[in-house]
Formats: sequence, C-alpha cells, structure tokens
Amino acid sequence: MATLDVKRISAGTTPAPAIREVRDYAKLVDVSRCIGCKGCEVACKEWNDLGVEPTANFGSYQSHQDLSPRTWLLMRFNEVEVDGDLRWLITKSACLHCEEPGCLEACPAPGAVVQYSNGIVDFNQDECIGCQFCVTGCPFDIPRFDDVTRKVYKCNLCIDRVEAGLEPACVKTCPTQAITWGTKDVMERLADSKVAALRERGFEHAAVYDPEGVGGTHMMYVLPHGDRPQDYGLPEAPVAQAGALSGFSWLRPAGAWLFGLGAVATLLHYLTYGPLTPDAVDEGHPPPEERP
Amino acid sequence: MRRERREIVPRFSAPQRVVHWTVGISFSGLLLSGLALAYPSLYWLTLLFGGGAATRILHPWIGVVYTVAIAAMAFMWARDMTLDRRDRRWLEEVPAYATHRTEKVPDAGKYNAGQKLYFWISIVLGVIFLVTGLPLWFPESFGPGLLGVMRLLHFLATVAGGLLLMMHVYLSTIAFPGTARGMVYGGVGRKWALLHHPAWLREQDRERD
Repeated sequence: MATLDVKRISAGTTPAPAIREVRDYAKLVDVSRCIGCKGCEVACKEWNDLGVEPTANFGSYQSHQDLSPRTWLLMRFNEVEVDGDLRWLITKSACLHCEEPGCLEACPAPGAVVQYSNGIVDFNQDECIGCQFCVTGCPFDIPRFDDVTRKVYKCNLCIDRVEAGLEPACVKTCPTQAITWGTKDVMERLADSKVAALRERGFEHAAVYDPEGVGGTHMMYVLPHGDRPQDYGLPEAPVAQAGALSGFSWLRPAGAWLFGLGAVATLLHYLTYGPLTPDAVDEGHPPPEERP
Repeated sequence: MRRERREIVPRFSAPQRVVHWTVGISFSGLLLSGLALAYPSLYWLTLLFGGGAATRILHPWIGVVYTVAIAAMAFMWARDMTLDRRDRRWLEEVPAYATHRTEKVPDAGKYNAGQKLYFWISIVLGVIFLVTGLPLWFPESFGPGLLGVMRLLHFLATVAGGLLLMMHVYLSTIAFPGTARGMVYGGVGRKWALLHHPAWLREQDRERD
C-alpha cells in the first residue's frame, strides 16, 4: 500500500507520512447470525494461500485447537452454560486491527508493524526480527510465531483485496452475512441496529464489542451475551500498553538523558582535573613517610 | 640482603585477564545490540551484528557468554573484593579521590573501595540481566504482564551498567594513565602502584624481601 496511507509504524523515529484522507473500514461479526460453517476459515486459507494444516478430533466442532502462523482465522466453538442451558458462543478469532495496536507499541523493529489510514494493522515480515514482543503486546493473543522462519504472522484483513476496493475474503464468503464489511461509521450504525434487534428478541445483554482501551477496533463483534465477553474468549477491558510497558515511553528518554549527562560529566571532569599520571608520586603523592 | 626493586609489579594473572576481557567484550556487545533494540534511533547498530533478526538471535547468546564470564569473575575475585573497615574510610574521601587530592585518600590495598563496589554491582547486574533476560529470550513462555516488568528492569540495568562501564573505561584509561597495562600485560608500573595502591605495594615488597 502506498506510503501516503501509512499512519503509524513500529519503532518509528519521526511521524508517519500519511496525508491522504481515506475511509477507515471495519469488519462486523454478528455472532448471532453465525451458523458455524467455517466457510470464512477456508476462504482465508484460499485467498492468502496458506495451505492445509492437519488437525485431530479433540472433542469439539472447532477445526483447529489454535491459531498458527498459517491459520490466521479460527472459529472458536466455545461451549458455555448460560442460564442452565448449553450455548455455543462461536467467536471469530482473528486480528481485531486495533486503533491503538499493542503489537505496534511493543515492537522494537522499525516498520515491522504498520498501521494504515484505512485501519488495517499489518505485519511486514521483511522487517520483523522475531523477538515476539508483539505476541505478548497483543491483548487478544493473536500473532503467532513461526519457529522456522522466526517471523510473526497474523490476519492482514486481506489488505491486497481492500486496496483493490474489495471486501476481505471471509466477508465475501460468509453465507449468512454474519460478517459484514464497510466504513467504520456505517458498521457502527449497523451494529447498533443489530443490538437493538437482539434485545427485542430477548437478548437483553446484547452489546457491541469495540473496546475503548485499544481505541476501538476494525473488527467489531455483536455479542448476544455482551455482558460476558470472556465467555467468547474476548478480554473484558483490553489495553494497548499493558502494565509496566507503559513506563517505557518516559523511561527511554530518561535513560538517554542519563547516558548523555554521564558523557558530559566525564568530559568536564577530564577538562577540569586532567589525568593523574604516575609521575605524581614525585610530587609527594602519597606522603613519603608512608612509602615502602 | 634486599633484592633490587622491580619496576613492574605483577597484578593480574593471565586467567584473570582472560575472564575480565571476556566480560568486557561480551558486555560491550550486549550494550550495543541491546541499545539498538531499545532505541529506534540506534537501530542502525544492528548492522554490526548482521541486521535486526540476527541481532535478536545473537544478543541472548552473547548473554550466555557474559553470564558464564561473570560467574567466573565472581568466583575468582570475591575474596579480594570483600569490603572491610578501611574501605569505609576510603569511601568518605571519595570527593578527594575524584579530584586527584590523593594525599587525603587512605592507602588502598590491592583494590580500593570504589573498585570493590564496582565489582559487586557488576555481579548484581549480571544476575539481574540473567533473571530478566531469560523471559525476553523466550517471551511466549511467560505472561505479558511479567514480560513488561522484565523489559523495564532489563532496560534499567542497562542504563546502570552502561554508565558504570563509561566510568570504568574513563578511570582506567585517560583519567589514570598506567592502569590499563595491568589488565593487558598483567603488570603495573611501580610508581603507579605507589600512587594508587600503596598498601598493596608494601605487601608485595614484603613478600618478596
């Protein structure tokens, strides 16, 4: 994608060059409409040409147990008891494309994580150094590290399709329109109307999942049981810079100042006092009576 | 009969010199590669190690060398570096020492109190680097919360270690000429020993007589 649309890069030293006004997009996943067909998983594999990964029965309708460097999208079939009934809380597990991405904050490699004006957060494997800090920086546990290539991979929201004016492959293939695509504001309105409809149907806790702690996301969910996001495998209050890492933003410049002050102090000391050469002993250091 | 006084007094054995330089060179490598990854503006330093990805792979392995060398250093020097009452008096005269008024500074033995403290801080920093570095080496085995704390502590230790290294190199080279030759060739000049470690020189002469 063009440089003009680069909004933020990891470990950047200067502001990113985005000056172009582009629409920011969002994918809306209406969990209540999902029939669990996994068509989106296949479409993701096909479009991104990620190949088949063998799996085994582990007592669930879920295809694979976890995301992987080659599985960027996984429908998680969470079996949860709600009001004494067993419910399948199916969740589309893939990158949420945060407005304030924790992966980007944690990444030390310039340009390895790029955020575009249209809302897509992409990994640039050319620049990735394989430190895996993004994996721990992500509040949603999405990026996956490949032991062989030593790079990290995740959903790129079909950036190549979006650039060409198309919707992501998972959206295109969804037979029930559980996944929809559009500009963020349109999707927000759609999400609100879906929530209102769900509430009318008796899902009184239905809610939109678009967490503020990460500045909102470019994949939002409509959750029928919006009061219990954890049951969908979604954190209740995700933040971009978890815990101690937030201290880094001021500690780093403080450290740089200390190094600079140390260098200046050393120079000043040398210019003020100069070297103490061994010839100083001829001038009475230490006093002669103490000499051997 | 008293033998002729030596102009060069042996100070560091070859194994000690090897261990010292292993620590010194590995720590410098760690500092350069670590700062490269901590500061985006210093990221170009990764070129010294073969690029960003190679730096990420090498840094922890240099850390392994450093940790082993620090352990050897602790083992070799711990006894000589024990602080005693004389060291407290020396520490009170640090301002005089720092301004070259050596006549006010109590006679130091083989190591003065400043060197001893530098040694112990180095050992402690070595432990901190190891304990905080392992989670950063294998981040996925540890939780995100813990990793953030480790990253901060690792960074703080780097700042402390970098500043101390700066001081160490300055004092042992241009500030006190004649110091470095001891760690390079093993022996120091008699005048240097008399100036910096008079009590140690007396001891050496006694043993020789």
